[in-house]
Amino acid sequence: MSFMDTLRTRWQEYRKPGYYDEFDYAWTMTIDLDRCTGCGACVTACQAENNIPLVGETELARGREMQWIRIERYWEGEYPNVKLNFIPMLCQHCDAAPCETVCPVSATYHNQDGLNAQVYNRCIGTRSCAVYCPYEVRYFNYYDHEWPSPLDQQLNPDVSVREKGVMEKCTFCIQRIRQAKDTAKDDGRRRVLDGEVQPACVQTCATEAMVFGDRNDPQSQVSQSMNDPRAYHVLEEVNTAPSVVYLKKVEANVST
Amino acid sequence: MSGIDRRDFLKLAGAGGAGAGAGFMIRESIKHPVEHLVPYPSPPEEFSPGIATWYNTVCTMCSAGCGITVRTREGRAKKIEGNPAHPVSEGRLCAHGQAGLQVLYNPDRLTGPMARTAGSEDLAPITWAAGISQLATRIREIQSSGQGNSVCFLSEGVGGHLGVLQKNFMEQLGSTRYHQYDFAYPHTLYSAIQNLFGESQLPYYDLANADYVLSFGADYLSTWISPVQHSLGFGRSRHGASGTRGQFVQIEPRMSVSGASADQWIAANPGTEGILALGIANYIVNEIGYEGADRQEWVGSLAPYALNTVSENTGVSASVISHLAESLATAQSGLAIGGGSAGNNTNGVDTLVAVNALNYLVGNLGNEGGLVFNPSPVIGEEVSGAQATYSDMLELAEAARDGQIQVLIINQTNPVFNLPEVAQFREAIEQIPLVVSLSSFIDETSALATLILPSHTYLESWGDTFPKPGVGFSVGAISQPVVSPLFNTRATGDIILGLAKEIGLSEAFPWSDMEEYLKQGWQEIYARGNAGNDSGDFEAFWTDVVRAGIWGENVRGSDSTGLAEGVIGTIGVALPSFSGSSDDYPYVLHPFVSDTLEDGSAANLPWMQELPDPLTSIVYGSWVELNPSTANNLNLEEGDVVEIQSPHGIVTAPVFIYPAIMPGVIGMPIGQGHTDYGRYASGRGTNPIQILSPQLEQETGDLAWAATRVSITATGRRVNIVKTGGLARELGREIVQKVDAEEHTTPIAGLSSIPVKVVQS
Repeated sequence: MSFMDTLRTRWQEYRKPGYYDEFDYAWTMTIDLDRCTGCGACVTACQAENNIPLVGETELARGREMQWIRIERYWEGEYPNVKLNFIPMLCQHCDAAPCETVCPVSATYHNQDGLNAQVYNRCIGTRSCAVYCPYEVRYFNYYDHEWPSPLDQQLNPDVSVREKGVMEKCTFCIQRIRQAKDTAKDDGRRRVLDGEVQPACVQTCATEAMVFGDRNDPQSQVSQSMNDPRAYHVLEEVNTAPSVVYLKKVEANVST
Repeated sequence: MSGIDRRDFLKLAGAGGAGAGAGFMIRESIKHPVEHLVPYPSPPEEFSPGIATWYNTVCTMCSAGCGITVRTREGRAKKIEGNPAHPVSEGRLCAHGQAGLQVLYNPDRLTGPMARTAGSEDLAPITWAAGISQLATRIREIQSSGQGNSVCFLSEGVGGHLGVLQKNFMEQLGSTRYHQYDFAYPHTLYSAIQNLFGESQLPYYDLANADYVLSFGADYLSTWISPVQHSLGFGRSRHGASGTRGQFVQIEPRMSVSGASADQWIAANPGTEGILALGIANYIVNEIGYEGADRQEWVGSLAPYALNTVSENTGVSASVISHLAESLATAQSGLAIGGGSAGNNTNGVDTLVAVNALNYLVGNLGNEGGLVFNPSPVIGEEVSGAQATYSDMLELAEAARDGQIQVLIINQTNPVFNLPEVAQFREAIEQIPLVVSLSSFIDETSALATLILPSHTYLESWGDTFPKPGVGFSVGAISQPVVSPLFNTRATGDIILGLAKEIGLSEAFPWSDMEEYLKQGWQEIYARGNAGNDSGDFEAFWTDVVRAGIWGENVRGSDSTGLAEGVIGTIGVALPSFSGSSDDYPYVLHPFVSDTLEDGSAANLPWMQELPDPLTSIVYGSWVELNPSTANNLNLEEGDVVEIQSPHGIVTAPVFIYPAIMPGVIGMPIGQGHTDYGRYASGRGTNPIQILSPQLEQETGDLAWAATRVSITATGRRVNIVKTGGLARELGREIVQKVDAEEHTTPIAGLSSIPVKVVQS
C-alpha cells in the first residue's frame, strides 16, 4: 500500500460518521433561540476567559473583529410588524470540518473529543481555513495586540496569547475541559461528570439558553436537549455535521 | 560603574586578562538583564502557584447587587462569574459584570492622591496624610464656625453599611447635605408603589412563574433594575416553569433588547403607556368581568378610558387592546411591569401606578408569577431616601451658586455628565471652593476637583449589599477584597473613618478600618438569630457568610393583597407634555440607557466599547435611530451626520436606519460623549443628555428624560458607522429557524428547568 493509499484510508476512516462515538467524549452545545435575548454576556465572558485581544475602532471598521462568539441579528418584516432574531454564532466544531481539510500545515485538526482544535505554533497564516469556514467564525491576528498595563494582569494564564499572523477561534474552552478531566482523574473517576465543565459563554448565560456536555452520554442534559424536536443545525445543507445544535425559536400567534 | 556588581566586574576583568577581546565585552554588555526566580518559601494564605482561588463577593457595576465569584491566580483577578448560591444571579452574570475586571485593571485608574495647587492647572501627587489633613482642616474650620451644613457629600448609590457610614458621618458634621445620584434611579417606580400599595420599596416581579407578561417600557432584560434576575425569570418562563411557554409583550416606542425578545412588540405613542394600561384595565373591569368588592370604584375611575378614546390617544388599535386585556386576564398568572421611558415622561408616576394596578386587577399580588413585596432591607433603610432627584440636584446647584457650599465630596458619581446642560451643574461646582473627588477615574466631574483621594475599586474593598429589589425574602452579602490593592488608593470607608479621626470625631467613629466597622455591624445581624448562626460564635458566622458570599433569612415582605386607602379614585393618567412646539421640533427624542455602556459609567471599559450594541451591532460610537420612512422623507441614509436640536441645545451624530422605532420618534443611546474618563471613553460620540429640556415628572420632580422634542438638520457630512453585523436580513438562508407556537405546545420532559447541576455519581 502506497503512502497515499494509507493516508486516504485513514482519512476515510476518520471522516466516517460515528467515529468519535468510540472515544470518551463528544462535546456538544445546544443553544435555545427561544431563550436567547442577544444581550452579549457570552461575548464578554469569552473575551475575559480566552485572552481575546481588543482590536480597536480602526480595525473594527475594516471588519477585523475578534470575538470567538458573536451575536448575529436578522431583521424580519417591516414596521410595525417587525421582528429581530438573534443567533449566537461560534465555531460549530464540525465533525466534517472544511477548515481542517484545507490547512496546508495541519494547524487545525480534529481531536479525539470531537473538538476542532487550532495549533497556534503550527499556523503559518494562509487564512485558507477562514475562507473555507461557512460560519465565518475564524479570526486572524493581523497585528500583535497589546494590553496596556495593568490590563495585562487580567490575562488568563491557562490560555496562550496569540501573536501576529496566527488564526484563532473558539475552543469550547478546552482549558476548562482539560481541568475537568484532570480533576476527574485525581478523584479516581473514569469520566467527567455532566455539568462539571462549562465554557465561559454557557456558564454566564443569564437566560440559561445554552447547554454544554457530552452527547455520548444519553443521560446528559445536552443529549436530552438535542432530542427536542426543535433541534436543527445552521446551514445543514453544507453537511459539516456541527457539534453546535440550535433549538428553533418559537413564534407565538399574536393578534395585530 | 553603576549597574555592574563585583562579580560582573571580575568577569569582565578576567575576560580582558585572558585576551578574549572587545567582542566578549560587547556581548556581555548587550545581553538581557539578569532576571531572578524568587522562591516563595512561605506564600500567603490560600496561595498556591498554578491553582486558582475563588473568592465570593458582590458586583457593583449596577445597582442590582448580584453575587459574584472571582477567580484569582497568583494574587490576580482573572475572571468573574456569578455566585451560584446567590438568589439574585444564581451563578449567571451580564456583560457588565464580566467586564468588572477592567475597572480593576483599567490603565486609566488613578494611582494615588493628588492635589491642584493654587494657580496651577495640573494635579500633583501628594501623600494620603497630606490629603486627608488638608480636607480635615477645612472641614474643622467650617464646623467650628457653625456652618456644618456647607459640607456636601454626593455619592453614587450605595446601600448597606457604607451608606450608613457616609450618612452618619455627614450627620456628625451637622450637615443635611448627604445625597446619592444615579441617572437611571427608578424614583417614579418607588413613588408609584408607594401611592398604590403604601409600600416604599421595589417589589419582586416573579417572571419565572408568570405565563403572560406585559412590559410597559421596562427593558427588563438589559438595562432595567435587575437584568440578570429578570433574564433568569424570562428563560424559565419561556421554558414553561409554569406549565406552558410564557408569552411576553413589550410596549415601547423603540424596540429594546426586551422588545426584540418579546413575542409581540407594540409601539404606543411616547408617554401614553399609562393610558394604554388603563384602557386594558377598563376592558378587564367592564367587558371581561372583575368581581372585586371595589368594582364600582374602578368603573368610576376608569370611565374616561373607553376603548376608542384609548386607541385614539395611544395609536394602538382597539382590537389589540382588547386582545391584550383578554390574554392578561385569562392567563394563569398574568403580570404587568413598567419603567424605563414609560416612567420618565411628565406623567411617569401615574403611568406606573396604572401599570401596577393591572397586577391588582388580575389578582396576582403575593402569588407565584405575580408581584411579591420585599421585606425592608436589614441595613440601610435610612439611606434609601438619599437618592437625589433632578430637582434636588438643581437645589444643590443653586446652593453652590449662592456660596452656601464650601466643601463638596464626590464619590464615584458623575453628575456633570449625567445632567443636562441646562442644569448648569458644571458652573455650580466651579463655584465651590473645595471639591474633593473619591473617584477611581478622572471623569467629567472629578476633573473639576482640587483634591483627589482615589478609592479602591469594588474588587479591593470590604462592604456589604442588600439587593434592591430583593427576591421576596431577606438577603444580603458581604463583599470582600479579592486582590490586594493595586495602587496607592484607599477604600471609601477607610477614607471616611480616617477623615473622622482627623476631624476629631473618634468617639462617634471608633473603628480603625472598614472591615472592623463592617464586622461590628454584622454583629447585629448575627444577633437577629434568624439564619446562619448555627455556626457557633460570631467569628464562625462571619467566616461562613464571607466565604459563602450570601446571607439570607426567611423573612418575607407584606402579604397584603389590597391597595392603599382611597387610591382607586385617584387613578388616571394625563397626556404627557413635551418641551418645544411640534412645529419647530417635530420629533420626540427617545434617549435610552445604552445596553453596553449603561448611563456612561461603563464607557471607559474597552470590552464594553467593543461589545456590539445588541440591536444595531454598532461599536465605539453614537448614532441617531430613524424609522426607514422618516429617513426616506428627510432623504437621509445611514452614516449621514445630522444635527439634533432641542429647545436647549444641539448634538451631532450619524444616522442609523432602525426598522423598529416609531416614525415620529428619534432614538439616541446614552453613554458616549465623554470629554474625560480615560483613553477608551473620551472624545467619542455624543451625549444626548446634554440637550434634554428640564421637563419634570409632575410628582417626584425627577427629570422626565423622555419628554424632549427635537428637530433634525442634515449637515451634509458623512461618516462610516463602525459596526460588526453583516447583512441585516437572512435572504432565505434559514439561519434562525422558527417553529409555530402551536406545534410546540409543551416543552419536552426533563427540560423544564435547564440549569445544569453537577450530578455526583
